[in-house]
Amino acid sequence: MQSRHEPQTAREAGLLQCRTCGCLSHPPAQVSKRTIMRCPRCGARLHLHEHSNSIEITWALLIASALLYIPANTMPIMSVYMLGSGQPDTIISGVFHLLESGQWPLALVVFAASIVVPLLKLITLSFLLISIQRKSRWRQRDRLVLYKITEYVGRWSMVDVFVISILVGLVQFGNLARVEANAGSLSFAAVVVLTMFAARTLDEHLIWDISRKEEQH
Amino acid sequence: MIDVSSSIACPECGQLHRYQPIAQGKTAMCKRCGSVLYRNRKHMLESVLALTTAGLLLFFLSNLFPLLGLRAQGVEQDLLLFGASVAFWGQGYHLLAGLIVLNTIVFPLFELVSLMIISLTAKYGWKPGLAIFLFRWMREIKPWGMLEVFMLGILVSVVKLGDLATLIVGTAFWSFAGLILTMAAASSMLEPFVVWRMLGHCKERQHAVTT
Repeated sequence: MQSRHEPQTAREAGLLQCRTCGCLSHPPAQVSKRTIMRCPRCGARLHLHEHSNSIEITWALLIASALLYIPANTMPIMSVYMLGSGQPDTIISGVFHLLESGQWPLALVVFAASIVVPLLKLITLSFLLISIQRKSRWRQRDRLVLYKITEYVGRWSMVDVFVISILVGLVQFGNLARVEANAGSLSFAAVVVLTMFAARTLDEHLIWDISRKEEQH
Repeated sequence: MIDVSSSIACPECGQLHRYQPIAQGKTAMCKRCGSVLYRNRKHMLESVLALTTAGLLLFFLSNLFPLLGLRAQGVEQDLLLFGASVAFWGQGYHLLAGLIVLNTIVFPLFELVSLMIISLTAKYGWKPGLAIFLFRWMREIKPWGMLEVFMLGILVSVVKLGDLATLIVGTAFWSFAGLILTMAAASSMLEPFVVWRMLGHCKERQHAVTT
């Protein structure tokens, strides 16, 4: 099959493709799992696909962030003290406060960034991993777009952490009004950071490469 | 063996293509997945240089002046960009304080300086070592610079505080908005494929470096 057709992808041609600068290079004659290969142009690490542990690492990060998602949503993220009496806020109660004060567009933005996006990220990344592991050929281009969106929107979840930092920094009027950070904010930030790493470690080329291999059989 | 110097692979799907120079203003796209391979932009390096110079000025303004102020019962409280993370530090959340300094100050500055050094190196043909190092890490670090997300955070906070006290929009608020725009423009102007080619060519039959 390969003698009749030009190789289609870098992988089929037996080439290493640098994920940082795009430079193509030939792998050395003998490669074991231990060999560390670097891009001849930019020096970034190169991996052979069969040695890639992208799926395992991504699963590990996903499971860790799924566990942290629970305290992130149940524990209070900050407390607002007005005239001495304090009231702890979770992420969802913060959204309700915005709704009560009639700020529904903003409530929607915070709801999307803090609750929907992290949850959707956990679901989409798991779906992508499972579909890669099942060597699925179903709608590869759409799955790549799904991956791109997931990778892009993740950082917007940090907005709640920033809001806490701004409120804590600004509202320090002693007994009159005071805002304090609570432990939920730490787990929430950890969820955002871990899912961002998970999206980064998932090698999106696997969506395409597996089907190519299957077609050749 | 395939000639590595004239072949390029799609960054998204790995599809191989033969490299061809394209006319100014044109875009080359992958034949399989449709991703952009490279663009030939007019005055690319000059635009990036101008935008990063403006960006650096705005960066210093944004850090020197207060972003927001709050007045309640005659007491005024100011917030600097750095103050947002100082607040977390003061409450014992040191990790979060560190994360916020990285997201709002260190990484954006790193990106600005890198963009500037990379385009200067490409324009004047300096030794590419430093620029290659910076370009490689800039790509990794880019998603972690979160100026625009912080801006959304400011807007949410402004609304939340609106009925509590009198808000003062500080000088840095406007330079911060300008900084977001200039940085977005600068990094979308820079064409990675073209710049990587300027910094170093992939030689024919080149092997990966093993250590």
